[in-house]
Amino acid sequence: MTPAQVPLAAWLLYAAPVTAILFGFFVMRRVKPEWTHLPILVSCMIVTASAFWLAADVYTGHSFDLNLFRWAAAGTFGVDFGLRVDGPGVAVLAMVSFVGSLIHLYAAGYMKGDPGFSRFFLVFHLFFLAMIGLLTANNYVQLYLFWELVGVASYLLVGFWFHKESARKAALKAFMTNRVGDFGLLLAVLLIVLQFKVTHFHLLYLKAASGATFDLLPLIGLCLVWAACAKSAQFPLYFWLPDAMEGPTPTSALMHAATMVTAGVFLLVRSWPLISLVEGLPHLVAWIGGITALGAAIIAGTKKDLKRILAYSTVSHLGLMMLALGLDQVGVALFHLIVHGFFKAALFLCAGNIAHALHQPTANVDDVGGLQKSMRLTYLSFVLAALSLAGVFPFGGFFSKDAILDAAWHHGGPLAALGMLVAAGSAFYIFRMLFLTFYGARPEQKQAPHAHEAEPILGIPVLFLALGAALAGLLKEPIQRFVVIGMRGLPSGLPELNLVLNLPGEPLLPHFNWVVADLGTLMVALGAFAAWRLTMSDPGFDWRWRGGFAESMFESDFGYKIFVDWLVRCVSWIARFTGRVLDKAWWDGLIESTNDIVRGAGAALASSAQGRVNDYLWWMVAGTALLLGKVLR
Amino acid sequence: MNMPLTTLWVVPLLGAAVCALLGARAKIGALIFSMIFFGAASMVAWISHATPGLSVLNEIGPVWAYGISYRLSADSLSLGLILLTAFLNLICVAASWELKVSAGYWACFMALASALTGVFLARDLFFFYVFWEATLIPMFFIIGLWGSSNRMHAAVKFFLFTFSGSVLMLLALLALVSAYHRVTGIWTWDLALLDASTLGAAAPLVFWGLVLGFAVKIPMFPLHTWLPDAHTEAPAAGSVMLAGVMLKMGVYGLLRIALPLFPSLSYDALPILGGLAAFSTIYGALCAMAQTDLKRMIAYSSIAHLGFCLLGVLSRTSQGLTGGTLQLVNHGLTTGALFLLVGFLYERAHKRGLSDFGDLASRAPYLAFFFGFSTLASIGLPGLNGFVGEFMSLSGALSVLPILAFAGVLGVTLAAAYALPAFQAVFWAPAGPDSVSAKVTDLDRRERAVLWVLCGLMLWIGLAPKPWLAWFEPAIRGLVR
Amino acid sequence: MNLTAVVWGVTGTLFFFGLAMVTLRRQLLAMLLGIELMLAAVNVSLVHHAGLFNDAEALAVVALVIAVAAAEAVVGLSLILRVRRSGHGADASTLTELQG
Repeated sequence: MTPAQVPLAAWLLYAAPVTAILFGFFVMRRVKPEWTHLPILVSCMIVTASAFWLAADVYTGHSFDLNLFRWAAAGTFGVDFGLRVDGPGVAVLAMVSFVGSLIHLYAAGYMKGDPGFSRFFLVFHLFFLAMIGLLTANNYVQLYLFWELVGVASYLLVGFWFHKESARKAALKAFMTNRVGDFGLLLAVLLIVLQFKVTHFHLLYLKAASGATFDLLPLIGLCLVWAACAKSAQFPLYFWLPDAMEGPTPTSALMHAATMVTAGVFLLVRSWPLISLVEGLPHLVAWIGGITALGAAIIAGTKKDLKRILAYSTVSHLGLMMLALGLDQVGVALFHLIVHGFFKAALFLCAGNIAHALHQPTANVDDVGGLQKSMRLTYLSFVLAALSLAGVFPFGGFFSKDAILDAAWHHGGPLAALGMLVAAGSAFYIFRMLFLTFYGARPEQKQAPHAHEAEPILGIPVLFLALGAALAGLLKEPIQRFVVIGMRGLPSGLPELNLVLNLPGEPLLPHFNWVVADLGTLMVALGAFAAWRLTMSDPGFDWRWRGGFAESMFESDFGYKIFVDWLVRCVSWIARFTGRVLDKAWWDGLIESTNDIVRGAGAALASSAQGRVNDYLWWMVAGTALLLGKVLR
Repeated sequence: MNMPLTTLWVVPLLGAAVCALLGARAKIGALIFSMIFFGAASMVAWISHATPGLSVLNEIGPVWAYGISYRLSADSLSLGLILLTAFLNLICVAASWELKVSAGYWACFMALASALTGVFLARDLFFFYVFWEATLIPMFFIIGLWGSSNRMHAAVKFFLFTFSGSVLMLLALLALVSAYHRVTGIWTWDLALLDASTLGAAAPLVFWGLVLGFAVKIPMFPLHTWLPDAHTEAPAAGSVMLAGVMLKMGVYGLLRIALPLFPSLSYDALPILGGLAAFSTIYGALCAMAQTDLKRMIAYSSIAHLGFCLLGVLSRTSQGLTGGTLQLVNHGLTTGALFLLVGFLYERAHKRGLSDFGDLASRAPYLAFFFGFSTLASIGLPGLNGFVGEFMSLSGALSVLPILAFAGVLGVTLAAAYALPAFQAVFWAPAGPDSVSAKVTDLDRRERAVLWVLCGLMLWIGLAPKPWLAWFEPAIRGLVR
Repeated sequence: MNLTAVVWGVTGTLFFFGLAMVTLRRQLLAMLLGIELMLAAVNVSLVHHAGLFNDAEALAVVALVIAVAAAEAVVGLSLILRVRRSGHGADASTLTELQG
């Protein structure tokens, strides 16, 4: 395949956003900043259309993987940049572009009138572009490029309202934590170069499948998992994500649903043929995912801020995806990733609508209640998305979560129990949120009579996303086919991708299993019932545990945040010590003290020099005589 | 004209003389001559690049007493660094255009460019040393006369510190030359002829003398403490030349003299030198985190960045060497841009502290944009220039001594920990009661033009580094182990 | 007693007189005179040896030394004048600006 044969759609994936951003930056920003979003929305449409076009191509067997140009080379070392349009890539790409475009549309309404409107849209679209690049990269260096670009764009978006101290802190925290994860990815890429001499995914798969042993592979795998833990907010690096909701709500929606946190899972999907070769590493991934999923679900049940609850929910769901991956169920992980994109985007935008209706930057569950009547459309969307999240039949989340539970069930042991508990926990926090916000109102909540439904541009995209979340179960078959195409290859696919068949990892989604489905549904019902008992059954019962030990535990994620803060303080203490004491006072002080030594010696010698010319002449004569004596002898 | 290389260093020297004579209108002379210099450098580079068989230009002059001869040569490494010198010199002239300074300022910059060019051209060690020391004089005046409040101390410290290093280097060179004479009976200072095997048992001593001389200039931990002071007190353009080109002399010296003459010794020294370089990347980053002065912070970040160059160069692998060499250029562009931006801030508000500003992103969006862009390049964001050099250097180091690369990757991670908080404090945080943000106006057209050029180059190198790497490759091919 | 010995004796004596004047006297003008005397003594010796070895280069050096002596007188005298005008007198013992 040559560049000339690349479908136009693939070029447009890059060309449209780049053009829109450049045009917005150089033209619209000067001429008509409040119209910056127009070219960008057009670009979103083009990207979505292209993504679906490519998806159709891949679906019919036209995957491709192509090097476009050599990025860097020295000696035997070379890195090419190219395009890889294959099953897993386009499946996620289609979701990202669809969900992302709807969020763009929503943002056009949500950010209207903000003084930074055009800046917001430019960075927002850059964020989107970075994710598209990440999904179509064909080697690790290119992936790393977009991976970092995603990080930078998210930094700028989380810190968008930089006048707020919390936003600045959250942005820094997000970027630094990601940077700690990038330590792993950069090291992994370097080690891959050292071990395999190539970074191209496809060649790596070939080498990995060759059956040879690679000494560095365990380290590479560990680094990749570490990087994914940071980007996808897994324990022990999850803590940045809940704070990252300091950005404008569309940012949170895009970040949680489509562009940022899914990158970590996607990295592992791409690297699965390498990781699965390492003894025990998949198991580690499964355990990280399981523990994070349960922990975050519990913490989500203790939080009050709407967006914060959703953020922990994202952490929990990403944990579920990791769990599925760790159990070798690549297809299941991707399925859940895509379904999660729909319901999480919808839920975030609902939270945005609620805050918007209350004229607050952010809303808490104990602020208002009974919004069910005043915000019908948002309520409807929220319910659809929440049912999908909780995994209630027949909403989308049921199918993907059921598949994960099924995988865990078949694996058996503690992981199966973990999965079931997560199901109950998710139902608990999301129903708690639903009840407190839309029903009631409880005595401590405001009635919010002024709350009103948002304008259509805020309502419609949410409804679409919620419908998507509800119906995502229908995507099961197509997604399975995409994953099969990516991992098994299909006869009609292009030869470049057919060289490797049977990549490790299970692309097929499990068949419906009555036992697991029933048990899962029971857990959901239990969680929902607990939420109802806590919040609705007795208006006199204070569910908030105000004051005391419990609240401080809830505030600090059961102590983990305190530990992280302590680590950060340690590092900055080391830096201050190194910079101010060790370097400046001690070492530079020592060097500067040579000045004093020279001055002291000079002062001692100066006593012999009284400034009388004749004395100096005597010295000169003596010196000359000495020299002459030496020469003449 | 069949002496293209001589022209290269004479043109800026002529410019210096003209500037000194022109008096009040000296800056026009500086502009014209730096343009001619840049044009000449580009032309020579182009000719050497485009003409087959001329990839190395040579000029051999007469031989004088003790084998001292006027011998210039330019391969792609030299030409690349000369182009960098000429480019940054032009940038400096453009950036200082509105300064109220005497003719000497402009003359010093032109003289500095001339001496630096000489260093990169000379292949006779005597002339190399003369040019090497000649760079100190204009820089001493630039810091000492046009610097900020504590300039004299910084200038003297700079001079004495780097001069002590050079004296060690001179001793090593003398030992080399006299040993060659003792063994062969021939006096020569010609780099191509000299042979370290004539030194016998004294070879390690001479090698370390050379390395110490170069390490001061780079500067490598623990010989770095002159740098923060010199950078902080120097005028913005002085910092640009200091960081952009003068620091590169150290790495250039290693590449040109120490490594080719002592191939096995330099390999044995890898654990020590590479260890120091890797440690520099972490140490520089940690120190930068502790700074409250923008210029000091950038100065410490230079130490970290040069650590990456060294890691690459010392690895003696082809990706490490090309990456390390490209990192020299990258650092010149990125740190140059950052120093210019801090200089623009200082011109407006006469402050440099992190806590003296705030909220500049709203008041001076262009300043914020360029500063943010350069900061990202400096912390090694892929797609911008810094990443290419760091990645290839680390890749080289990894294949030789993995632990060094681990430390280097940690240094990459830490880079964000000083750069972004500083960016936030100056551009995002609200202006405090004592802040001088109100005095800061946004960049004007001239300043923006300068930074567009720099940032454009950063993006270009970052997105398509291959031609840049290919440019340096022939010169370093011989060094690959 | 040949001519060379005479020249050596005379110029040597003159040279040491000059040296003594420079080192022992405190009067600036006298010190300058001493320097000139030393130069003159060397010059005489040079002329003689030029003849002795039949060396024209030495004669060129003689001319150079004369020029140096003249230049030195110019510089020295003007310096002395300058010092006198600045009110320090012409006594070297009072000029201790070089004191460490």
